[in-house]
Amino acid sequence: MNTAEKRSGLRGWLDRRYQLSPLLDFLQHKEVPLGSHWMGWYYLGGVTMFFFIVQVVTGVLLLMYYQPGEATAYESIRFLTTKVPFGWLIRSVHSWSAHLMIISLVLHMFSTMMLKAYRPPREITWVSGFFLFALTMGFGFSGYLLPWNKLAYFATTVGTNIVASIPLLGDWLLQVLRGGHDVTINTLYRFFAAHVVILPLAFVAIIGLHILLIQRQGMAPPLGARVAPRGMKFFPSFALRDLLLWLACLMVLAALAVFLPYGPGIPGMDWELGEKADPFAPAYPGIKPEWYFLWEYQLLKEFPPHLFGLEGPQVCLFIIGILFAIWAVIPWLDRRAYQDRSSPAFSDLAWAALLFLTYLTLMGWDIGANGAIEGLAAMQKVARVCAWWTLAAGLVVLVVRSLRYQHRWFVFSGAALLQAALHGVFGVSYLLAGTISLGLAILAIAVLNFTRSSPDERRAN
Amino acid sequence: MEKQVESASSPLTSRRHFLDLVLGASILGWLASIAYPVIRYLKPLPQTGPTGPTHLTRDEAAKLEQNQFVIVPVSGQRVIVLQSQDQLYAFSAKCTHEGCTVTYQPGQSVIWCPCHDGRFDLTGRVVSGPPPQPLVKYTAQRQPDGGIVISVEKA
Repeated sequence: MNTAEKRSGLRGWLDRRYQLSPLLDFLQHKEVPLGSHWMGWYYLGGVTMFFFIVQVVTGVLLLMYYQPGEATAYESIRFLTTKVPFGWLIRSVHSWSAHLMIISLVLHMFSTMMLKAYRPPREITWVSGFFLFALTMGFGFSGYLLPWNKLAYFATTVGTNIVASIPLLGDWLLQVLRGGHDVTINTLYRFFAAHVVILPLAFVAIIGLHILLIQRQGMAPPLGARVAPRGMKFFPSFALRDLLLWLACLMVLAALAVFLPYGPGIPGMDWELGEKADPFAPAYPGIKPEWYFLWEYQLLKEFPPHLFGLEGPQVCLFIIGILFAIWAVIPWLDRRAYQDRSSPAFSDLAWAALLFLTYLTLMGWDIGANGAIEGLAAMQKVARVCAWWTLAAGLVVLVVRSLRYQHRWFVFSGAALLQAALHGVFGVSYLLAGTISLGLAILAIAVLNFTRSSPDERRAN
Repeated sequence: MEKQVESASSPLTSRRHFLDLVLGASILGWLASIAYPVIRYLKPLPQTGPTGPTHLTRDEAAKLEQNQFVIVPVSGQRVIVLQSQDQLYAFSAKCTHEGCTVTYQPGQSVIWCPCHDGRFDLTGRVVSGPPPQPLVKYTAQRQPDGGIVISVEKA
């Protein structure tokens, strides 16, 4: 008679049928690696999942009142927020949690990048995380249209129109996405189906894989840990800490949702219902997408009408596609981390990506415009102010990285800052500034490779 | 006997190869028979609705008088009708950049797309900003009875 058969009670009953012991043994021995790095980064995936769970719960509650339709979508949300007891709270929690989920997801992704947690054997975890990121963007974009207000209408018009730039398939895709040539109520039906059924199913499937891989392989130990690192028991030590943090997140979420029910009131983070969508009303000044799409919005603005015989938006989409493709396959590009060696170039690439996104986002936000957002002079002023902010942020990052972490590899982040400086401070066109900076970065890498095995590489990261 | 089975050109392996091919082709056919209706289902039907010249309604004409411009449906398209110095103009209201609905700024005689700051003059040409094409022109005519007709024929 084995142990499972000997055990009495519910545990024994379950064990005899489902052989739970090996699974429980595995969970009991599961550990989270401790090292020289800050443990905080390990919690961000869990926090993102917490906000996703909040999204599912509040989303289901919203579904009980929301009615997609020309005459009902906007009206049902207005009814929900003005008449239904606590309807405003459920909507507010759903909106706040969406933004917080994206913030924690982005932090999670960048911390994974900095810690090189994507190195073997965890490449597929990174790729599945990348798809979760893409799906989250899809959630944000599709959910934005559902209240059927003016802002959502134009944001969706611009957002969907981008796919028209795809060669050959563009027009077909645009029609499938919109349910017609233009954004109409048919678009809302399709977005509704995507937001409440298609995306959640895909998300749950991929998050299942993501979590399964993490459970199977454990969390990534610090880079270059030759000996098995010390560990913290996952159950109960880490799980309880996780739970405590989730509780703190819930408190923060509740406070934000109650005190700022329509968002902090900054463009791209504001869910005041406003006016109902009207396809025959003109767009109005200050139309912005959600803050996490602002960099793309700004990049679209920086492209001239035509480039290399193609239309500006086409080239822009192509470049965005390349940037995302690079991001998705980073585990295979980072050859040094692949061999469990320090890879300062990729840490710097992550910082450069952050600075690149910061500069575009600040410009998209019209920081420094003081209300005047039209015309060339206003755009140059915005670019100047944003460039100075980005340079200041970049300088702080540079100083902290070199003093605190002894980083010595700054080619990519230097290029990102140079582009901001050339464009914002010296008035060079954005694309030319980007080309000069990228060219110089490639030149610098070539020189660095030529004088290989510098002491910096051994020291840095 | 054994040699026959192992040989690549034996009737048994070539028969298996043939069956694999048939199976593979039928799986492809089976997948296509599922995908085709779904793809056709997802592609929206062509738009239906009135085509041909469109008369501005009384409300639309009043709006035009008041704001110097109005956006109306013409053959399923959004068309901006505007007046400048007693002359009527009509263009597709869809910005050629990313499809936002344009507006008219009477003070500057400029058609403006606020989404990405694209500007067009009163011939529909791009004056500044990222739009890659001029606005599509329509014909706007004032009838002897005072009514305004917008026709699809691109001028």
